[in-house]
Amino acid sequence: MNEILLEARGLTKHYEASGGFLGRGGAPVKAVDGVDLIIREGETLGLVGESGCGKSTLARTILLLETPTAGSLRFAGEELTAERAGELRRRAQIVFQDPYTSLPPRMRIEDIVADPLIIHGTVEAGQRSARVRQLLDDVGLRSMDARKLPHELSGGQRQRVGIARALAVQPSLIVADEAVSSLDVSVQAQILNLLKDLQERHRLAYLFVSHDLGVVKYVSHRIAVMYLGRVVERAGSRALHERPLHPYTGALMSAAPSLHERRSERIRLRGEPPDPARPPSGCRFHPRCPIAQPRCAEDEPQLQEWLPDHEASCHYALGEGS
Amino acid sequence: MALVVFGVVTIVFVLLRVAAGDPARLMNPPGQQEELVQLTRERIGTDRPIIEQYVDYVVGVFQGDLGTSFHGNQAVLTEVMAALPNTVALAVVTILVSSIIALALGIAAALRPNTALDRGVLVYVSIALATPSFWLAIILVLIFSVRLGWLPAIDMQGPQSFVLPVATLTVALTPVLIRTVRQSFLETLGDDHVRAARARGISERRVILVHGLKVAALPLITLVGIQAGLILAGSYVVESIFNWPGIGKLTLDAVAGRNFPMIQGGVLVAALVFVVVNFVVDLTYAVLDPRIRLGYR
Amino acid sequence: MTDVAGAGTLQLQPVGQSRRIGRRLRRRKSFVVGVTGLTLIIGAAVLAPWLAPHDPMQQDLMATLLPPAWVEGGSPDFPFGTDALGRDVLSRMMYGARNSLLIAFFAVLIAASLGLAAGVTAGFSRSSMDALLMRMGDMQLAFPFILLAIIVLGVVTDRTALHIILVLGIPGWILYARVVRSRVLSEREKDYVTAAHAIGAGRSRQLRKYVLPAVWQVVLVIALLDFGFVILVESTLSFLGFGLTPPEPSWGSILAEGKRSMIVSPWLAVLPGLAIMLTVLAVNLTADGAADVLDPKLRKGVFRRRRQQDTGRQTVTADETGAVAQDDAAGTARRDDGPLLQVVDLHAEFPFDERSVYAVRGVSFAVDRGKTLGIVGESGSGKSVTALSILQLLDAPGRVTHGRVVFDGRDLTRIPDAEMSRLRGRQLGMIFQNPSASLNPVMTIGSQMVETIAAHQAGAGNRTDVARAALADVGIGDPDRVLRRYPFQLSGGMNQRVMIALAMIARPDLLIADEPTTALDVTTQAQVLEQLVAVTHDHDTALILITHDIALVHEYADDVIVMYAGRIFEAGPVRDVVRQPRHPYTKALLDSVPRADLEPNERLRAIPGELPDPSKPQPGCPFAARCAYVMDICRVEDPPLIEVAEHREAACHLPALPDAPPRAPSEVSV
Repeated sequence: MNEILLEARGLTKHYEASGGFLGRGGAPVKAVDGVDLIIREGETLGLVGESGCGKSTLARTILLLETPTAGSLRFAGEELTAERAGELRRRAQIVFQDPYTSLPPRMRIEDIVADPLIIHGTVEAGQRSARVRQLLDDVGLRSMDARKLPHELSGGQRQRVGIARALAVQPSLIVADEAVSSLDVSVQAQILNLLKDLQERHRLAYLFVSHDLGVVKYVSHRIAVMYLGRVVERAGSRALHERPLHPYTGALMSAAPSLHERRSERIRLRGEPPDPARPPSGCRFHPRCPIAQPRCAEDEPQLQEWLPDHEASCHYALGEGS
Repeated sequence: MALVVFGVVTIVFVLLRVAAGDPARLMNPPGQQEELVQLTRERIGTDRPIIEQYVDYVVGVFQGDLGTSFHGNQAVLTEVMAALPNTVALAVVTILVSSIIALALGIAAALRPNTALDRGVLVYVSIALATPSFWLAIILVLIFSVRLGWLPAIDMQGPQSFVLPVATLTVALTPVLIRTVRQSFLETLGDDHVRAARARGISERRVILVHGLKVAALPLITLVGIQAGLILAGSYVVESIFNWPGIGKLTLDAVAGRNFPMIQGGVLVAALVFVVVNFVVDLTYAVLDPRIRLGYR
Repeated sequence: MTDVAGAGTLQLQPVGQSRRIGRRLRRRKSFVVGVTGLTLIIGAAVLAPWLAPHDPMQQDLMATLLPPAWVEGGSPDFPFGTDALGRDVLSRMMYGARNSLLIAFFAVLIAASLGLAAGVTAGFSRSSMDALLMRMGDMQLAFPFILLAIIVLGVVTDRTALHIILVLGIPGWILYARVVRSRVLSEREKDYVTAAHAIGAGRSRQLRKYVLPAVWQVVLVIALLDFGFVILVESTLSFLGFGLTPPEPSWGSILAEGKRSMIVSPWLAVLPGLAIMLTVLAVNLTADGAADVLDPKLRKGVFRRRRQQDTGRQTVTADETGAVAQDDAAGTARRDDGPLLQVVDLHAEFPFDERSVYAVRGVSFAVDRGKTLGIVGESGSGKSVTALSILQLLDAPGRVTHGRVVFDGRDLTRIPDAEMSRLRGRQLGMIFQNPSASLNPVMTIGSQMVETIAAHQAGAGNRTDVARAALADVGIGDPDRVLRRYPFQLSGGMNQRVMIALAMIARPDLLIADEPTTALDVTTQAQVLEQLVAVTHDHDTALILITHDIALVHEYADDVIVMYAGRIFEAGPVRDVVRQPRHPYTKALLDSVPRADLEPNERLRAIPGELPDPSKPQPGCPFAARCAYVMDICRVEDPPLIEVAEHREAACHLPALPDAPPRAPSEVSV
């Protein structure tokens, strides 16, 4: 197994609520509530979940773009604190979802990609231009695009610029926060392939955040499933697909429309997605769970390794008898 | 809110004493002997230290005493209360007239954008925005009083004397209002929910009058607040030209005479009006818009 | 203060397009007129010392109160007449213009600088600083600006231009600050600022290099409008006697004199005011023109349905009911047999300033009663515009330019508005992508449902009961609670179910669902779609499901149409099409969707290149630039949609699709 690059333990991020009578006094929103994560060098960890599960918050907290409320972070073996966030900037980067707002509207492409080089002084002024050209080439853009402004490029091209920007400092980890979700299908595949190529070439690790299980499976070696601020299942990509242990994972997989004939009945969830400010008691998933038992409303399950290298937080992960 | 009014009054208090010279001296003929000027000073109370004057004033305000005029001995409060209703009368009539015109023209223009009607309305808006109100007042007086003799030029004497001042103020107000109404309507009519209502088969008339209006009308409530402010601002000019005995004229005369307490009185009233009207507008908005009422985040 | 609040919503185009902007500016008449006028006035003011016929201070007591030259009694020596001291009005006006314009310019400069600084600080720094600045602004706005100016200038004994500039300029900061602040706040939320943070840029760099360039141009537009406003205020102050001390000329003071001599010499009152008005008008026109061009405000919908004019290409006659008399080979569309909906060679476009977006370029298909048709396409494929064209809901300037939409025997593009309105909701329905935005935000669900029920006189009995039943029909377990709520209080999935219920109230024959679940979570998506399909099957309603997700269509539809660049590339029963696509695009699309059965090292076969620009249609097949099977003929001739097997159509020059493409697609974006 590869070396551990990033390790998070008990990572928590709470927000002050805006609810309540005068805008105060509402319960805090526990966007991320005690998450353990391991990302290894050169590997992709997929993070999948629906809206409100906290995956985007987690992605940003891991990079210290948000200050964690609690928990610890280690990068390449060293403890990461808020004060040392600056060091992280050279080794971990992020690519965003919306190609329209993730690039500064008034900066030229070459300036956008060059800025990290200027900030960190990694390349001398004379060499910068060449390095920028090389980065653009790496992501499949032409040198004539360098002088353009973002609005002159298509969505897919803009995402490439975002990737080039992230690559500029030669990071070892890139967080892709729904990086292909806003792209057309035909362009999505291009960018996914690009990410895979870059991973091989530069030995990059990815944290790939997405709501699309199919996309996540394609790019990830390992997958973590999130629900309401917690990780509810974690396994290798193939293992997860072959046998999902947590009912939520099962529901996610069966809910996605498929190009193959259905093997079994769709798993239907009851009710509505919950309010992150008021999580249910016991197992957070129990109000919607198709196999919920009385115990689930009282006793919150922890992540347990039910199968080799395959964890889930469910009392009945291996079926109703367990 | 109270803080705002308080702050305003304080700032004006300070400004006056900093910017003006010695009011006692200016109230006396130039070259007057120092002892006589000193007498004036004692009479109007500017011989005391500023802090004392300030504290005295503030305490007085809370008790309903706005001080005494530097010229003569009338209580500022009495003068102000006498002038206020006249301005209010002017304001009410103006708001009515302007609102009706602005709603009619703004909605009509929004329903037929880029037609002759719309362009005509926008031309009117451009010209009215550029027209100095004091000049318009004079022109109107020239035409309707001097040349045609139909309407009185000055003073407040009966309903006809309202016409010219209201007309002047209306021309000053309507362009801003029309623009806001038109914009609000145009945007609402392009909203998704309007299109969805059409798709459900709701009649076009109902779509505009009910769905369109309900949503577009909300920002228009703030228009009342805007109007109050604009009328107040316009009152200084209009009341001066038409010799209308309202707050505006009172304040202007006080400024010309460096009558500090009277000036402060005028400012206090203006600030209070602004603040109260805006408060009421905000409250109304909160009541009418369920998204605010029920805490939409 | 002037209403420049609207300027807060401006979205300015980047400067990189300066040449194009210049051209568009020149095209706008109002801008040209404004700039011309402004140049003339400024020119006259600047050149006053050389152009003015007389010394503005020079008195001639022999020639007081003369009327302008064109009036009886006037003299060409004094083109605009003279004032009470015999001074030449034209000269005084020209010098007065200098004063007014200079004062206004500097005042605006001060206000804009202060405002920009304050706005940026308020928007970008801690909330306590922001709160402080905004409180100060509130306090200042608590009473009219002009009163402040009057008070200060009124009590100052010797007014100079500097006094006036400061009094007019300094309080102006709040106007700019507010708008700048709101722009900064909104830019700050955007990902590119977070990205700057992520690459290691400190706050000051984030502000300087990233946020500020996106924000400062707003200040220019506001400054222009403010300039006009300040000119007005300055002249008002002069008029009231609080402006420059005499004998300095200014328009306002000339007017004040004019008022005094109004009866004797009315011209003295008219002319300066006219000058003020024309100047401010010129400034406003310039500002409006500039703002309009720099602001690509989407001219959203003004809904005005354009009925198709008979072009003469098809001889179609429409009698009173709009029933179609068929004359072409497309076949009869009669009421009871034949397809429910038949779209024939539909073309739709959106004309813009210089060019048009050709959204739909010849689309023909049919939908049978009770069946579900899926329309699959990426952005720019024209699928949504097709749907809107069927329901005749295209917002102007979009319009159908050719073709027919035959529904139940009538051509919807030609029937009268009133009849179309009756059809909508009753026989034809549509639901849209963003359910929460598609419901009136200030009406309860209940009142919106009752309204629709009333409009169609649907169901029997009490309208609320009907509403309750309709909600239960789409799987809402607690209808009473939902009826009382406003849309913002419900989730997206719930709102979409409400939309479905609303659309189904009158039991339409056809329902079009345009990306109904794109905005929803996966698990909710499945719930809603199942509900949709169930309820349409129950009532024998035909369904057109529009989506970008081919897997979705595979799950829920009977037939599928694949659209690209406004055309149909393939059509047929969905299982067949997915199992054995006949068009390279369909095949490529299927190949590029991540599948579970891929080996770990296998790559998706991505389609190279970008989607074509719908405003620049090329000859030949629109997919030619990206197709792995492209031949020479593809770039020249547009392949027609033809039947390639029973119930299967494809638009491709290839007679059949071999299993492996001749060349591997490259990865470079074209």
